[in-house]
Amino acid sequence: MRIRVPTLMISVVSTVRRVWKRRMRFRIGLIIVSAITLLAVLSPFIVPYPSEGWGLIPLNETNVSGQPPSLAHLFGTDDKGRDLFSRVLLGSSTALLQIVLVVGVSLVIGLTLGVLAAYYKGLVEYSLNYLIEVFLALPAILIAIPLKMAFGPGLHVIIASMVLTWWAWYGRVASVYARSVCEMDYVTIPKLSGLPGYKIVVRHVLRNVSPPVIVQAVTDFGSVLLEASAINFLGFGLPPDYPDWGVIAQNGLYYITKMPWISLIPGFFIMVTALGFSMIGDALRDELDPKLRRRWRLWF
Amino acid sequence: MLETPGGQDYLVKVENVTAGYLSVTSFSSLTKTFTPVLRDINLSLRDGERVAVIGESGSGKTTLLKVILGLLKPVKGRVLIEGLDIYSSRKAWLRAVKKIGYVPQDPFKALDPRVKIKTSLMEPLETSRYSREEVNRLIKEAVKLVGLPEEVLEYYPSSLSGGMLQRVLIARALINRPKLFLLDEPTSSLDVSTQAQIINLINTIYHNYKMGILLVTHDLAVAQYLAERVIILREGRVIEEGFFEDVILNPRHEYTRLLVKSYMMEPI
Amino acid sequence: MVLAVESKGLSIGYLDEEDRVLWVVKNVDMQVREGEIYCLVGESGCGKTTLGSSIAGVLPPYSVTRGELIIYGRRVIKDDLRSYEGVRGKLTSYIPQNPGSSLSPYMRIWDQFWRVLREQGLNEKTAKERATAILKTLSLGQGVLEHYPHELSGGMLQRVAIGLSLATGAKVLVADEPTSSVDAHLKLQLMRLFKDVRDNYGVTIVLITHDILLAGKACDRVAVMYAGEIVEEGDSISVLTRPLHPYTKLLVDVVPLLGFKKTLASIPGEPPKPGLLREGCYFYERCPFRDEVCLNHVETQVIDGRRVKCWKPLVDKTTS
Repeated sequence: MRIRVPTLMISVVSTVRRVWKRRMRFRIGLIIVSAITLLAVLSPFIVPYPSEGWGLIPLNETNVSGQPPSLAHLFGTDDKGRDLFSRVLLGSSTALLQIVLVVGVSLVIGLTLGVLAAYYKGLVEYSLNYLIEVFLALPAILIAIPLKMAFGPGLHVIIASMVLTWWAWYGRVASVYARSVCEMDYVTIPKLSGLPGYKIVVRHVLRNVSPPVIVQAVTDFGSVLLEASAINFLGFGLPPDYPDWGVIAQNGLYYITKMPWISLIPGFFIMVTALGFSMIGDALRDELDPKLRRRWRLWF
Repeated sequence: MLETPGGQDYLVKVENVTAGYLSVTSFSSLTKTFTPVLRDINLSLRDGERVAVIGESGSGKTTLLKVILGLLKPVKGRVLIEGLDIYSSRKAWLRAVKKIGYVPQDPFKALDPRVKIKTSLMEPLETSRYSREEVNRLIKEAVKLVGLPEEVLEYYPSSLSGGMLQRVLIARALINRPKLFLLDEPTSSLDVSTQAQIINLINTIYHNYKMGILLVTHDLAVAQYLAERVIILREGRVIEEGFFEDVILNPRHEYTRLLVKSYMMEPI
Repeated sequence: MVLAVESKGLSIGYLDEEDRVLWVVKNVDMQVREGEIYCLVGESGCGKTTLGSSIAGVLPPYSVTRGELIIYGRRVIKDDLRSYEGVRGKLTSYIPQNPGSSLSPYMRIWDQFWRVLREQGLNEKTAKERATAILKTLSLGQGVLEHYPHELSGGMLQRVAIGLSLATGAKVLVADEPTSSVDAHLKLQLMRLFKDVRDNYGVTIVLITHDILLAGKACDRVAVMYAGEIVEEGDSISVLTRPLHPYTKLLVDVVPLLGFKKTLASIPGEPPKPGLLREGCYFYERCPFRDEVCLNHVETQVIDGRRVKCWKPLVDKTTS
């Protein structure tokens, strides 16, 4: 595969710079997302109580459960006396890990199968599209429940269940784009030069299909976070002590009247992060949609 | 059908071809309906001969091209390229298709926007065993032949105009030194001034290399410059064929008469 | 003589990504007389469609205008101000290039006529009579009204589209490349139809085309456009047989004519990209008759009632 990384990087950087200049929405979104990313990367080093963050309940002498936010515990402590700040901070890396893994893996599967469906027409296309339909109809949570039963809770459950539903979405988007690309003469003519099919798919089809699908994936980051948090909140994904925003929100649910901060703080983080990703995705989509590339596009 | 003596030396011979499309209405019902587009087409072209196939929309000229290029298997009849049935095996098809230089209709759709001109030009040589230097030399020669500067090789298609792209495609078709030049409406998406340049270019190339030309077009006036013989297609059938002057001066079919009249320079 | 469309120093441009103006039509003076078929001929990117859509009143909102455009005495463009109130759809109408995609697929032809005729205060009965009368002149039966667009052939749709723009009661019809999606043997019919429409309804037709032969056959007067300017304007026969501007001459020489196998001249180079602005003649680089002076000097001359934008037109060569 000969996708030149430097040229791809340059185009990404220049696109980001152009959109940055034009859209307020993009600026706000990018600032939020960069802040969260920075937190996620730095969290293992700056967490004040790492063991509590990872779910260990502190010893009885130091256990101050249900403490409201203070200087010692910035976000207070939860019902079992763990420092909420540490848990939420570590939760940011969990969130990003889930997003990147889910979107990345589904993107690879979806792009491959979608492009194959469009290139090899006939039965292959028909059956792959059927498969896509089936997986589009399945809710992630329905897959998560049996997976958790079989393999026990953990990251693998949430990633596997969400990838199984999200790849179909990218598969469909990719096959729609690929179908119009495969109509083009630049896919037919190499066939006449006797080039093998896989070379044509990689060089011509994949290269033209992936940019729009990747943009689509970026706009989905927020939705992936929301869905993953929902599954975790319901307790079908990660174990109950894991530092994840959805899980923490669930922990605080029974104490919502007495200690509202336990649920509200991770909830707030979920909201802000999802909003940041949607703002970026929205601005990118508007910018790349040729119909909206007019003077009238809103500055915001 | 114009008979030429010496049966075997045809470059292309299309024999009684009936072709069309199968449409599968649904997966569950296995009934397929066949809509014929070409009916009993006969066509032959000898080395160095120039033939134009004239047809308007719905005449089946695109289907004819697909059949000759080996992309659509006819339900009846066969296609011979230098005596080789191209639908007999994949090997035969690969050998035959290397003798064809195909210039497509729309230059904007025919070059991958994300691939440099150089890579596009190298593609036809990839399956042959050429060394890197030889490939570079061949590419540069081809580009020079169609009157483009060498810098073009490093460009992406988006920075070239329609006329230049069409030249690139001609260079690409020429790079394998084909015996048959298959032109699919080579000028229909160009402006008149560039159209004339391309017509002149193809004629110069023809006079240097004397390959056979099969031109498929709807434009009689363009065909006059690029072909000696003409075949008029309508609704999948050959309705008239012969030497260009004969057909134009004494059209026998009503449709041909109408067609010729619409190109005449007289006020309505 | 009444002028249907008149423009004085009309320039039209589009705002691009960086909010710069890309001038597509530059300083055009044009007079279209009432009841004539006026042709705008040029290659792609010469601004003919933009000029046509300014007459029809379908300029996109991000376009910029300078100069004046007057339609039947009403000033629709005055520098930055554009007001097509009472002109668009009333005085001028637009015949789109591809009728297949411009007619609503979910409405019967009659419903589309009704939507137009309702605006003129007609009741259903009189509207139906009027629609039938219009279709009759286009040699379509009344039965067409009950059909949906996909049930009609391309040629019929083209005529329905013409009928719809006639139904608006417009006096100026702008037809943008009406023949480009039509087979050659139907082109003649269509052009004859345009002439009939002009004779029966007394409308003025502005025809936009890249086909110089069509212009010669069907139009009364031709304006040849190059790089956003009208380089030559005059009655069609004399412009095409005795061109004054070098560009017109090359354009005529470059078109293949059936039954007359001349050597095709080739204009070197490519047409300039839209938006080029500079002193002197825009055709300088490609002109075989160019002179040092052309670089910064170009003037409009009137010869035999034809206007030509060249300081040294090909008068001597064409008469001798």
